[in-house]
Amino acid sequence: MIEEDLAFLARDKCAVAGIGATEFSKDSGRSSLQLATEAARAAIADAGLTPADIDGIVRCDFDTTTTSNLAVSLGLRNLSFWADTGPGGSAPCMQLAIAIGALMTGQAKAVVVYRALNGRSESRLGAGVPGMDSKRVGGQGLFDEFYLPWGLISAGQTFAMLAEWHMRTYGTRQEHLGMLALICREAANRTPHAQMHGRTLTMDEYLASRPISLPLRLFDFCLETDGAVAAVLTTTERARDLAKPPVLIRAVAGGKANDARAGMMFPLVTRGMDDLGGAQAGRELWRRAGVGPGEMDVAQIYDCFTISLLVQLEAFGFCPRGEAGPYIESGALARGGSMPINTAGGNMSEGYIHGMNHVIEAVRQMRGTAANQVEGAELCAVTSGPLPVGSGAVLRRDS
Amino acid sequence: MILPVTDDRDSGPFFAAAREGKLVFRACSVCQRGIHPPVPFCTHCGGEGHWREASGLGHVHSFTVVMHQIHPDYPAPYTLVSVELADNADVRLMGRLDGAVDLAPGAKMRVRFDEVAPDTVLPNWEPS
Repeated sequence: MIEEDLAFLARDKCAVAGIGATEFSKDSGRSSLQLATEAARAAIADAGLTPADIDGIVRCDFDTTTTSNLAVSLGLRNLSFWADTGPGGSAPCMQLAIAIGALMTGQAKAVVVYRALNGRSESRLGAGVPGMDSKRVGGQGLFDEFYLPWGLISAGQTFAMLAEWHMRTYGTRQEHLGMLALICREAANRTPHAQMHGRTLTMDEYLASRPISLPLRLFDFCLETDGAVAAVLTTTERARDLAKPPVLIRAVAGGKANDARAGMMFPLVTRGMDDLGGAQAGRELWRRAGVGPGEMDVAQIYDCFTISLLVQLEAFGFCPRGEAGPYIESGALARGGSMPINTAGGNMSEGYIHGMNHVIEAVRQMRGTAANQVEGAELCAVTSGPLPVGSGAVLRRDS
Repeated sequence: MILPVTDDRDSGPFFAAAREGKLVFRACSVCQRGIHPPVPFCTHCGGEGHWREASGLGHVHSFTVVMHQIHPDYPAPYTLVSVELADNADVRLMGRLDGAVDLAPGAKMRVRFDEVAPDTVLPNWEPS
């Protein structure tokens, strides 16, 4: 007898009913709480709901806006479920997963997921760890004490070592990273709200860009951004009666690297670099979805850096391990290819809303309303992070 | 300098040993796999970890030359290196060398001890 797998019960049962976003900028001029509230209000209105209909909130652990502050700011009267997840960029698809869990077990009827940050004007992620000058770093399970004092201070330096290793091990070239930057930039050039909408990028410009932490250069990095995005999830059955065509969540899954180490991001340099959380997340995602990576019409891949995007192509099984370079070179991921990626520009050229903007763009693609629409797209993958833990989702058009 | 917490219950013994001019790492008492960053139990077999003294020898696993300066006490360019211990391949420790150093992966490294503040010593690495 085959044991019933409850994961299959959730297939297509929940949907994104509404999405909202603020503008993306270098200086929003307002608090992240205000940004979160504006994006959530927009998402609730997009779904044809009111704050009184919202009874759940799921937050990314890096967000300065707490679930309770957002509930206060939105004037929620019926909040009955809330949760935090992370770390950081691994949150977005896991936020969807938690919302689905709440919806499927009757703990909530309409859940807001969000990410809001003043990532440029207030706390720049590229500037190191907050408080590193005023107090000793690490301890209490952080394990930053093994990295920051030596001068490994930023995510970019950490991922640069992954890039060095990948290039040396698999023959990946600087141009392969550059092609990813160009794909994201060209998508942003077609997307009016993207921060790099009006700025083209050539391979020569990429190769000549300022070295930050070799082999990574300026255009290998995402855009520190001020802004917020939000989505409202409910059951598919209910979503079909709401204002917008529902976008079904086919499956979600998270995963952890086999040899993941304690700490968050920096321990990436302390262990096997071809052992990424996305691999386990991917295997479980495709099993739960009943469709494979080759069937995706479009994908939104978390791109804090070009190299993080590249390794997720392998981790989530879009191409075999070590073959991301030739896969990128094939043109499959560019506009007109078999699976265009980051169609609004991604973190690198749309804005760094920590990967939750990838979820919102996936919804636009599945609604058929994206500025840079992939014609006829019915299935969209979203990935959240290549780190020791990662998560992913498959979204689909309602049939 | 960015200074580490040196009295944490999980990681403190590493820094206490460094103050004595010794390099130690944590390994599983059962399966002998290295446990770094150090946590109480082995992720592979659940065995309890214990501290061991290392030989102080290792080799370059990966590296980056930092060209963009973030912190005034860490002037660019500098070279960050992840050094795999000769004693245990599960353990890689950070090293920093001044300037843009042309490192070859696999190159042999030897530990040295940098006192960065009174009572705070970082095991660092140099080519051997």
